[in-house]
Amino acid sequence: MSAAERVGVVGGGRWGLALACAAHRTGARVTLMTRRGEPEAQHRGITVVDAFKPLAEGASLILVAVPSEVMPGVARSLGEVVDGSHFLVHGVRGLSHEGLHTLTDVLRAETAARRVGALAGPVTADDLIDGRPAVIAMASRYPEVNEAVIAALGGPLLRVSTTQDLTGLEWASALVGCLVIALGYGRALNIAPGLLAGLLTRGIHEASQLAAAAGAEEKTFYTIAGIGDLMAAMGQDHRPEARLGAALALGDGLDVARQKAGQRIEAITLMPRVVALAKRERVEAPVFETIARALTGSITPQEILSGLMTRR
Amino acid sequence: MGWYLRREAMQEAPIFHFNDERAFIVEEVVGRIARNTRDPLLLLNDAAFHEIRRMEPRPGSEAGELSRFRDLARSVGKLSEDERRRKLEGLARHWATDIAGNFNPKVYGVSTSVLPRALALLLSPKDFSEGFRTAGRLQKHLVTQGPLDTLRALSKKGTLVFVPTHLSNLDSVVFGFALHREGLPPVSYGAGKNLFTNPFLSFFMQNLGAYRVDRRVRAELYKEVLKTYSSVLIGRGYHSLFFPGGTRSRAGLVEERLKLGLMGTGVEAYVDSLRRGHEQRVFFVPATINYLLTLEASTLIADYLAEVGRNRYIIEDDESTQLERIATLVRKLVLTTGSVVIRFAQPIDPFGNRVLADGRSVDPRGREVDPRSYVTRRGQPVHDAARDAQYTRELGEAICGAYSRETVLLATHLVAGAAFKKLQASYPGEDLFKLLRHRDELFVPGDELERRIADITDAAKALEDQGKIVLAAGLRQSAPGAILSEALRAWSGYHTNAVLAPSAGGFMLSDTNLLLYYQNRLAASGLGFHPGVRR
Repeated sequence: MSAAERVGVVGGGRWGLALACAAHRTGARVTLMTRRGEPEAQHRGITVVDAFKPLAEGASLILVAVPSEVMPGVARSLGEVVDGSHFLVHGVRGLSHEGLHTLTDVLRAETAARRVGALAGPVTADDLIDGRPAVIAMASRYPEVNEAVIAALGGPLLRVSTTQDLTGLEWASALVGCLVIALGYGRALNIAPGLLAGLLTRGIHEASQLAAAAGAEEKTFYTIAGIGDLMAAMGQDHRPEARLGAALALGDGLDVARQKAGQRIEAITLMPRVVALAKRERVEAPVFETIARALTGSITPQEILSGLMTRR
Repeated sequence: MGWYLRREAMQEAPIFHFNDERAFIVEEVVGRIARNTRDPLLLLNDAAFHEIRRMEPRPGSEAGELSRFRDLARSVGKLSEDERRRKLEGLARHWATDIAGNFNPKVYGVSTSVLPRALALLLSPKDFSEGFRTAGRLQKHLVTQGPLDTLRALSKKGTLVFVPTHLSNLDSVVFGFALHREGLPPVSYGAGKNLFTNPFLSFFMQNLGAYRVDRRVRAELYKEVLKTYSSVLIGRGYHSLFFPGGTRSRAGLVEERLKLGLMGTGVEAYVDSLRRGHEQRVFFVPATINYLLTLEASTLIADYLAEVGRNRYIIEDDESTQLERIATLVRKLVLTTGSVVIRFAQPIDPFGNRVLADGRSVDPRGREVDPRSYVTRRGQPVHDAARDAQYTRELGEAICGAYSRETVLLATHLVAGAAFKKLQASYPGEDLFKLLRHRDELFVPGDELERRIADITDAAKALEDQGKIVLAAGLRQSAPGAILSEALRAWSGYHTNAVLAPSAGGFMLSDTNLLLYYQNRLAASGLGFHPGVRR
């Protein structure tokens, strides 16, 4: 990317730092906005600010990496400083905490920005910070936003795979997070790989049907943003959703399992709303219903297995 | 503002100078087409192919035209690039001239004074003398709602682009009259060329800024000329009217998907104006046109069902459907006393932002936003077809949202909704086509029908309280029996067959198609059955 281009990043967590590092590596001038300071970013030569105004000035592309529950507040603050010229792209795995709106819907509702997008996929924060070759999925209905993200993040160490199916990518990112709980659960119970593959394949199918009911394209679930992300999770033992699933399988309650996961998991609050959507839209979703029940502790591993195996 | 002053202000509208600018506008269209065309050969071949295919089966009066296109098809491959460009410009000029409308300020003055009487005649067919007497009462027939002061103010700050729902061929005439009555400027609008053959509609359209759209012409160049024509008009400040649903809504549904071609000319014209250094703001005004009775209801719903159900429907109901169609055509000129509500929504800019009366665009939180920021790259306004297409898709979604919120429910919609629910409840599990076959089979006791009307009205009131729909004036306070009477009065004076036929102590559900048609106005809000949704 041209050194003259400026990229803003909102969010001082690991993911915000990772996106800032990735953009910095391509030669962009990066401004990271965080309220709590970020010595590692400063050490790498990234400008760190603690207000939105200096972030938005001169940066047409702003990447947002904050938990979904604070997204409305962050979006509202961004709304004070952005106009129609800004591209707003979030990298959050989740949907809004009220209803089932996507987080780009939240950005649209709280700001004047129209050109919005989302990042997803199997890349991890550590991949980006350490500069390991990786793939990230990106979606915007505006091709120029996809191009801006390729320019800002893409390079020999990061392949940006783009689509215009923004709804599909955001739903895939959120629902794969739910399926990774099932992955961790199954592995902790030593379920045979073939059976686990069957379960997850069914899960991806259900996810695609659910998302289609929300206006997504099913095929997006069979790209790097969906099944690709899930395949990567099979080799990523540290994924918090997988740790949560493993803890539940071994008999921990949800609170203990949450602690063992180590990070906030968007899928926990999402699951009941997804199951309600499935009922409303008459989408047959036994895998998602089972994950929801496992989260509440109202089903044993034996009941899960027998329920899914004998399903008609 | 007084009526006289409003009229004076209105006559500042650019359309009053249209005839002086006509030739210039045509040449501007031709110039833009020429500049933006990379490959004239492609467009000329496409035009020749589509026009020959269209005219060949029945050349009739177009035999000369057909011969010219055959010559073009034969020769275009051998022409030099310059000759092709000249051919392209010639054809673009031919079509732009054909499309270009007319506006006669004198006829406008006469028309707008004659129009109320003519409309009253149309709305009161039983007795023409009654029609004349009721001309003055048209105010009661035609109700206009919405932010009229804002629209009047904005008409002086930029181009208004009205984008109403579309149910009837009367729409443009009724809408044009409503604009005039409310002191809003006349508009330029595209009308199907076929409508110019109807003497009543043609008289008004030919002199009131309508331009001709020949839907039979499929050539890409024709579509480009049409869009460019619209873009030039908007850019020059001509207030415009599109029906973005395309054709009339045949099922009576509120439009949920729009054809975006002409709407996209709004953002294009805006960017052009910025590039020329003279910002011409463009304000889209969604509106709903709501009829107690729809002129062509029987024909439209029959067409809709024939297409959706294909032969399943036609085989069941062939002769009666044909008779109904003929009867409806005859009755097109004799519509009974009706009620029309035109409701304007808040104006929005091409990027979906609400626009205030002073012309400022504001974001969802009411903060001012500069519309130039959406189309400017490194300080310069730029065209970007993919970007602008997406802006227009999102604008279409915003307009559909406004349609749903601003749909006005009238007595016929509520009563049809109540009766259709009875039909569904009596034959659970049956699909739409099976349900519609139960003509004159189902009796509904009067008290049950009134109870169902009360239920649906209560549900509509709740939605109105949430800002999701609008009930026509008076319906909130009306007893179910009064709502039923109003609907029956309206239907009995117009439709060939009874919609609900009185029978001892109640009604037979007679014309199930029309019940579907009128209840479809409830579908988008979820108050009624939605024929487009899988159940």
